[in-house]
Amino acid sequence: MRKPRLLSALALLMIWLASAWTVRVGAQNADAKVLAEFKAKVDAYDALRKDLAKKAPPLEKADDPHEIAIAEKALAEQIKIARANAKPGDIFTPETQRVFKRLLSPTLKGDEGVENKTVLKEDRPPAAKIPLRVNGEYPKDQPLSTVPPDMLRALPPLPEAVQYRFVGKHLILYCTRGNLIVDYMLNAIP
Amino acid sequence: MRTSRHIRLAGLLITFLTATLVVAAQDVTLPRKQSTLKFAVIGDTGTGDSNQYRVAKVLAAARQTFPFEFVVMVGDNMYGADNPRDYEKKFEIPYKPILDAGVKFYAALGNHDSPNQKQYKLFNMNGQRFYTFKPKDGVRFFALDSNYMDPEQLQWAEKELKASGSDWKIAFFHHPLYSSGERHGSDTAMKDQLEPLFQRYSVDVVLTGHDHVYERIKPQKGIQYFVVGNSAKVRKGDLEEIGLTAKGFDTGYGFMLVELDGDQFHFQVISDAGKTIDSGTVVRNRQPNAPANAAPDTVTVPKPPAKK
Repeated sequence: MRKPRLLSALALLMIWLASAWTVRVGAQNADAKVLAEFKAKVDAYDALRKDLAKKAPPLEKADDPHEIAIAEKALAEQIKIARANAKPGDIFTPETQRVFKRLLSPTLKGDEGVENKTVLKEDRPPAAKIPLRVNGEYPKDQPLSTVPPDMLRALPPLPEAVQYRFVGKHLILYCTRGNLIVDYMLNAIP
Repeated sequence: MRTSRHIRLAGLLITFLTATLVVAAQDVTLPRKQSTLKFAVIGDTGTGDSNQYRVAKVLAAARQTFPFEFVVMVGDNMYGADNPRDYEKKFEIPYKPILDAGVKFYAALGNHDSPNQKQYKLFNMNGQRFYTFKPKDGVRFFALDSNYMDPEQLQWAEKELKASGSDWKIAFFHHPLYSSGERHGSDTAMKDQLEPLFQRYSVDVVLTGHDHVYERIKPQKGIQYFVVGNSAKVRKGDLEEIGLTAKGFDTGYGFMLVELDGDQFHFQVISDAGKTIDSGTVVRNRQPNAPANAAPDTVTVPKPPAKK
């Protein structure tokens, strides 16, 4: 009498484990898909940036401050024209934002979380000083936030010319070559 | 009109002579040997204000007696805007006598610096935000971008440190892994990433800024750390007593002179008033690429300031 009961309990446990595993794998697959889409969009931006850079004075060959300024400005103008219809959330889609918040969450917990929050609090510029606009220029008189290494490890890697930076609690995708905000995500951290 | 120009010229001449006399009065006491590697360290410089200019003049005057070959900049090279005029006002004009003498500057990026500064020829970054250079056999410098320590940079640092068979490994970047500065202090998040690498590959000396003070840290796990963030800005009274400081200076501006002679790293820190703030010698007693904990670590032997 006892044996069948034990067997059915075991069977139930296995069903529960299998369904939990399926849900987890499903969630992971869904995250992987979202991150792959994010990567594809960032790569597309970078490809566009590289293409437009051919029409602007080459920054790589600029070594004089005037040349650097001219190259940066010219590239920024080209990007603004080419991405005139870009909107907030084109790259940081709602799904991407959900996954990013989940990826960032562990970096804000425990002792390391305290360290990371300290770094962020110290160096990030106040949001009021930086207008969050897609294709908006990052104000030259404001510092760029230091991003804790833990966070950079948690987030998907970016092409060399694009970086994650924080503005207050908001995360931006920053184009270093054109000094532009590519996209932004409000309240990425609590 | 002409009189006012004469007055301005006379003023500039007096300032220059004062700076020269100030440094001459306070001897540069490094060994000052013939064939040693000599360099200077400045940090948090790019204000374009009179404090930066005053320190720059004393630095130029120090070079008369201590002909350093290059200058290491530990970041915040350009506060505020970095338009072409800013490059002149915050770098080219204050350091003109040194630049004119053919001295190279090697910059690291600070949190106030645009990433595109890496293109600027006079910062010698060759378009890279992190890079390495070897000014002499047996000595290698590693410039890191501590604003954005991504996995790619960490991998690069490990590869370069591992490949370097140099006797001396000197890293420089903006954020201090150790600092008693109240404003910023030790960057523990960065320390967790970099310190194990520095230990594993026997980095000897780390030069940083960010906190606007001078601080020599008590050797940590065999590594000598310096904060030189007071070459144009000072946060007075910012150093806290937290047991890290071997020597601190938070009441004035300054820069560091270094002379590498065999296993000895001689340093002298000079204030904008030409006074010696700190001096001493870091002695290397490790074999190249030996683990940092395999032998007694770098030893700092402070020397008293020279008396006149």
